[in-house]
Amino acid sequence: MLKFTLRRTAQMAIVVFGVVTLVFFILRIASGDPAHLMNPPGQQEELVQLTREKLGTDRPIPVQYVEYLTGLTRGDLGKSFHGGQPVLDEVLKALPNTAMLAAVTILFSSTVALILGIGAALRPNGFFDRGVLVYVSVALATPSFWLAIVLVLFFSVRLGWLPAIDLEGPKSFVLPVITLSVALTPVLIRTIRHSFLETLGDHHVRAARARGIPERRVILVHGLKVAALPLVTLIGLQLGLILAGSYVVEFIFNWPGIGKLTLDAVAGRNFPMIQGGVLVAAVAFVIVNFFVDLTYAALDPRIRLAAK
Amino acid sequence: MGRKRQLTVLVFVLALMAAACTSTDDTTTTAGGTGTTAATTTTAAPTTTEATAEDTSVRFLIAENFWADWDPYQHTAQSQNRIEAQIFDYLVDNPETDAPSVPMLATEWTQIDERTWEFKLREDVTFHDGSAFDAEDVKASIERSSGATDVETLQAGDWIVTNVEIIDPFTVRLVSEEPFAALFAQLRNTIIVSADDLANNAEAIKTQPNGTGPFRLVENDPTRKVMEANPDYWQGPAQIQSLTWEFIQDQDTRLSALLAGQADVIDRVPTQHLQVIDGSENLELNSVTGIESVNLWVAPGRLPIWDETPAFRQAMVTSIDRQGLVTGLVQGASAVATSFLPTTTQFHQEGAPAYTRDVDAAKALLAEAGVPDGGPEFELWVASGFLPRAEEVGAAIVANLEEVGFKPKLVVVDLSAMIDDIFSDDGTGAVYHLSWSSNGDPFNHAFVYSDTFAWYFGDERLQELIDLSGTTTDPAEREKVVQELQTHLWEQLWHVPLYNSDFTVANNTRLQGLDVRPNFETVFYPASITG
Repeated sequence: MLKFTLRRTAQMAIVVFGVVTLVFFILRIASGDPAHLMNPPGQQEELVQLTREKLGTDRPIPVQYVEYLTGLTRGDLGKSFHGGQPVLDEVLKALPNTAMLAAVTILFSSTVALILGIGAALRPNGFFDRGVLVYVSVALATPSFWLAIVLVLFFSVRLGWLPAIDLEGPKSFVLPVITLSVALTPVLIRTIRHSFLETLGDHHVRAARARGIPERRVILVHGLKVAALPLVTLIGLQLGLILAGSYVVEFIFNWPGIGKLTLDAVAGRNFPMIQGGVLVAAVAFVIVNFFVDLTYAALDPRIRLAAK
Repeated sequence: MGRKRQLTVLVFVLALMAAACTSTDDTTTTAGGTGTTAATTTTAAPTTTEATAEDTSVRFLIAENFWADWDPYQHTAQSQNRIEAQIFDYLVDNPETDAPSVPMLATEWTQIDERTWEFKLREDVTFHDGSAFDAEDVKASIERSSGATDVETLQAGDWIVTNVEIIDPFTVRLVSEEPFAALFAQLRNTIIVSADDLANNAEAIKTQPNGTGPFRLVENDPTRKVMEANPDYWQGPAQIQSLTWEFIQDQDTRLSALLAGQADVIDRVPTQHLQVIDGSENLELNSVTGIESVNLWVAPGRLPIWDETPAFRQAMVTSIDRQGLVTGLVQGASAVATSFLPTTTQFHQEGAPAYTRDVDAAKALLAEAGVPDGGPEFELWVASGFLPRAEEVGAAIVANLEEVGFKPKLVVVDLSAMIDDIFSDDGTGAVYHLSWSSNGDPFNHAFVYSDTFAWYFGDERLQELIDLSGTTTDPAEREKVVQELQTHLWEQLWHVPLYNSDFTVANNTRLQGLDVRPNFETVFYPASITG
């Protein structure tokens, strides 16, 4: 297990380093010059150069890169181009908000997916199963940005029940979480339904029934334990979707998280802030996947054996 | 699973949804308004529920990001100028951009000679940190801003170097190196900063501004600035106790927040939202024609026939249905450009001919230019998400031009890519849909056509007239120069004048007295809150 952990940690470090490097160079090579954006179009070059000197983008890119990496080793992510705030402070302020949104979304969508997936699997092709499949199809075809706007117009503007934007308390989670969950649940539901259908036909479930164990216990203990394995993997994989989806959702709901922070920074070519946002997203993604691997290994002895 | 169990599952799901929607007694995290430091700790902004309870907070959602820090005179960003006007004062104010200045920190002024003005300063004014305002602060601010010190500033480009002589603690003389006709307009752009701060707190004031204005900064997030009323303001404390300015990119999000009561004011209201706001009982629109020229800017050298052939330029202007763009697309208070100086600029005069769309005349001009087939292909670039309905405006212009025979290719990019193309040596664009705004002074507005900028075609007479408009201090003489400047620009048509922008702000009617100015400023002092 130790060897497995060390190997995965090294892989994580390589992935994060790769992402950081790629983003750094893409921003500087393919993106616009932030100094130009901060001056009126057509401004004379000497004045634009003054802005570059102030931002530090006048130096050669390799020099900037080395400075950036050196700063990273000290935990310094640089300062915002717009306002001079330390990027680390801003990122750390935004991170819990995105994490909370992601956690509530995973909790909510997993619960919904388990209920609907198991319910559908218990009576295949029944009324409930067909209803769930209709939901899956509709949800898959619903764009998040559209759904978010419709929800806001109905629940916030028309009914006045829920906040349209911001993070103000538990009520603020409702619309963003529903928006994200509608995108997330179809895959979860289909996976659980499929996995449960297979599991219910397995020998150990049939044996449990033969021993006279109550049906509820057969489903919730014997069936769920095996059927939950792909759910754990899937949630890990879907975290990327949640992070990517949260960019849209945070943008529309003005949610003060990493997604909004990064998108605002992209609009203004605020390089240090973009790098900080992407770094945090990359680290969060690999760490969660690492824990998913560990959980999977703990749940399935075959993984542990393979690792050895 | 039996019916009973299915029902249980259904009830559980409904209960979950209901629980999420149920009203909670959660404590809302507020966005400051009580502290005096630049601490940045919270995530949520004050809601209208809170605002109603306190009846003194206002939340303003803006469409343009904050581009700069608070380092004085080191930016040219409009959004930063706008918020500085809440925190700092100026020697003079220009509530009407085409009318004379009115007193602010200066109470009266006299012209000594064509390069020298004497100002009497207001007494009993203090900065937010409690220190007293006097002539030393004016000297330090004006000299720093105008480029009279060793510190290079971005705003010095708008100035003629000006030194300040202190006559007594509340009297100063401003002495410019050359006669400076745009002095008063520039004074309204120059915040008065404490001399002590400029000398000793240069780093601190980049994040914690210290002005004499009606509001002081208490929270300095990159996209969100929270201010509270300055209780010692020399004109009396503002009725708005907490003022939040927040950048929200998405125009629909800004509108949703206003409609849901989570914002009190939003700016840059797009045309498609006007009807929604107009139909709302508690909201009102406040529109002005901005001091902003939206032109098709032509990059010198990229389309040689443009540089060399006046008839080609006239053909393009005559091809475009500018009135149609205004009434059909940008709407609001926007107006067809009748000069290269907007209608709210001092000494504005309408140009002749009016350059209304005339397809036959445009075709004849193309033939006169030697290109009856429309001439070479060229790229017309528009930036999506920048000027209102830019893509539609671009498409309409291209359709107009093609009808006459021109061969434009529409390129839609983001603003950053467009700016890069303008500056790049291997840029492929020739014509760009962009705007230029100013403070209403003719020199300040015409400056963009001078040799200081990339849009200059080597027109020496134009440069001469721009210089004269900046140095002719006699008002009558200056008016003549500015009128000749406008005539010259209108005849030469180095760029295509399209329209003067609309600036529309929507606000909750509980906020009264919001001052929406053509220079895109929104002044919250002395606005009041009712109800």
